[in-house]
Amino acid sequence: MSANVNVNLLTPEFILAGMGLLVLSLDLVLPKARRGILPWIGVAGLIAAVATALIYRWDRVEELYGGVFIADRYSLFFFAFLVILGGAVMIASVDYVKQHIKFPGEYYGILIFSILGMVLMASAGELLTAYIAMELLSFSLYVLVALRKYDSKSNESAAKYILLGAFSSAIMLYGISMVWGVTGTTFYDGIAAHLTANPDLDIGLIVGLSLIVAGLGFKVAAVPFHMWAPDVYEGAPTPVTAYLAIGSKAAAFALILRLFSEGLLPAIEDWRVLIATLAAATMVLGNLVAIRQENIKRMLAYSSIGQVGYLLLGVASLGVVDAGGAVVFSERASTGIMVHLVGYAVANLAAFLVVAVVYSRTGSDQISDYRGLAKKSPYLSLVLSVALFSLAGLPFFAGFVTKFYLFTAGAEAGFLWLSGLAMVASLVSLYYYLRVIQRAYVDQPSEGDEETAVERSTFFVPLTSWLMLGVLFVGMILIGVWPTELAAAADSASDALGTVRDVSTALVR
Amino acid sequence: MDLELLHFQILSAALFSIGLYGVLARRSAVLVLVSIELLLNAVNVNLIGQAAFVDRPPDERVFGQVLAIFIITISAAEIGLAMAIVLRVFRNRGTANADELDTMKW
Repeated sequence: MSANVNVNLLTPEFILAGMGLLVLSLDLVLPKARRGILPWIGVAGLIAAVATALIYRWDRVEELYGGVFIADRYSLFFFAFLVILGGAVMIASVDYVKQHIKFPGEYYGILIFSILGMVLMASAGELLTAYIAMELLSFSLYVLVALRKYDSKSNESAAKYILLGAFSSAIMLYGISMVWGVTGTTFYDGIAAHLTANPDLDIGLIVGLSLIVAGLGFKVAAVPFHMWAPDVYEGAPTPVTAYLAIGSKAAAFALILRLFSEGLLPAIEDWRVLIATLAAATMVLGNLVAIRQENIKRMLAYSSIGQVGYLLLGVASLGVVDAGGAVVFSERASTGIMVHLVGYAVANLAAFLVVAVVYSRTGSDQISDYRGLAKKSPYLSLVLSVALFSLAGLPFFAGFVTKFYLFTAGAEAGFLWLSGLAMVASLVSLYYYLRVIQRAYVDQPSEGDEETAVERSTFFVPLTSWLMLGVLFVGMILIGVWPTELAAAADSASDALGTVRDVSTALVR
Repeated sequence: MDLELLHFQILSAALFSIGLYGVLARRSAVLVLVSIELLLNAVNVNLIGQAAFVDRPPDERVFGQVLAIFIITISAAEIGLAMAIVLRVFRNRGTANADELDTMKW
């Protein structure tokens, strides 16, 4: 067994891990008044990691440890996307953490570790590695959700999250053990080879794959595995909620996309209808239940469940069966998923950041309390409206373009009904987004009404949040009117999926 | 009667079912965690059985056992973290029953 492993390839990951440890330990030695610099040290580390990855891995296609870790354009795309996203969440949470969280070192340190988990999920080429990376992300998130130690809502949602999260990963592990038992491998390409050689699925394999899908369904909060999401989103500190809604979903989809296109594609006929059904149920239920929410974090939670439905539509259309009966990987679908993930992340982060700023001033997350926001802070309400329009998919904003990519791919793969349903669901979502905007802009206090929390409080937007909101605002518009660069990047990332790579060592196989 | 793969699979499925029942039916968060341990050990039994009794090349065999060791390690960490969080809930509320965690609904 040769062991000339090119460990240098992992430099960006090492930088991330080192930064996490550095921020955690700096917290111990810095005096309390100086801890404000911790997030900026973290952000500098993240920038260094992205730069190293871009320079070092730009044209590299390589596998480490016999395919356990894959470095290609796809991993690189998600590395850049997820680390920048993590950095944005970090900057967005500076003001919130200063005000509401007593342990800044733990917050930022654990946030960096969770970013490491996310990027590893995108590069894993094997189920056990993917599972461990996912657990690194999940464990960090459990702690982050519980970080408001004395707030009983935060505790409650953390308890629900970890109980259901542990349950779902146990289910997924059982699935992995079944798949390994039948195929003798946990490598994606090994599973694909087995599926090609044995087109009739073994019953053990069917059970195993269904259990894996159920476990992943829990992680992305797809109906019927979504019950935990609204409760956890409501109770978690708001920046963490944003991170849960965006980061953990994007990373889980990075994993799903690679698993389904490199591992399970040969059996697409067997799972595409199942995934399409999940997608339909998810987008309908998420968007319908969002209508009756009074708490804005819960409303955004259900709306993000709806968004998962759209993304699953892309997963269901990952393969097209051509005239000869062979399965062809649909790059359009995977590009659509990636582009939509980016657009969704930018818009959702903006929305949650507005919610966090409003909460810091008023202490309320109720939609009814948003009356008067347009008068108190035109900037906040403008960004909130643009973010919600983008989530709904109105033209000129990011959501329109990204949904267009995604739904066309679905229609091309033969899921015309599902794409139609997704459009109807988007229309429904416009209703509850507009309700918030109406509350902020149109509603006037009538005689005898009490003042809302927003009207009562004095308003100013802290500088970091203000700048971050500006960046996200520009991002939403930019993706909306000029999506070509993003789409090209996503295109070259999907090219990488399913192509043959150099194997630098043959350690396991 | 000799031991064979089927026995391990039956044991594993039984443990899994008991764990599943426990997760769904138990009130106390601590007992839910115990049930999750049962689920994870069902996975381990399955892996060890498959590794020992299915005819495969040796490196594939080892892989199943490696998987089991990883799962033992990760589940230990998971339970430690979960107990810490359940303890926080108990301190703040005086109860650790899963069905009393109901301040947020729908």
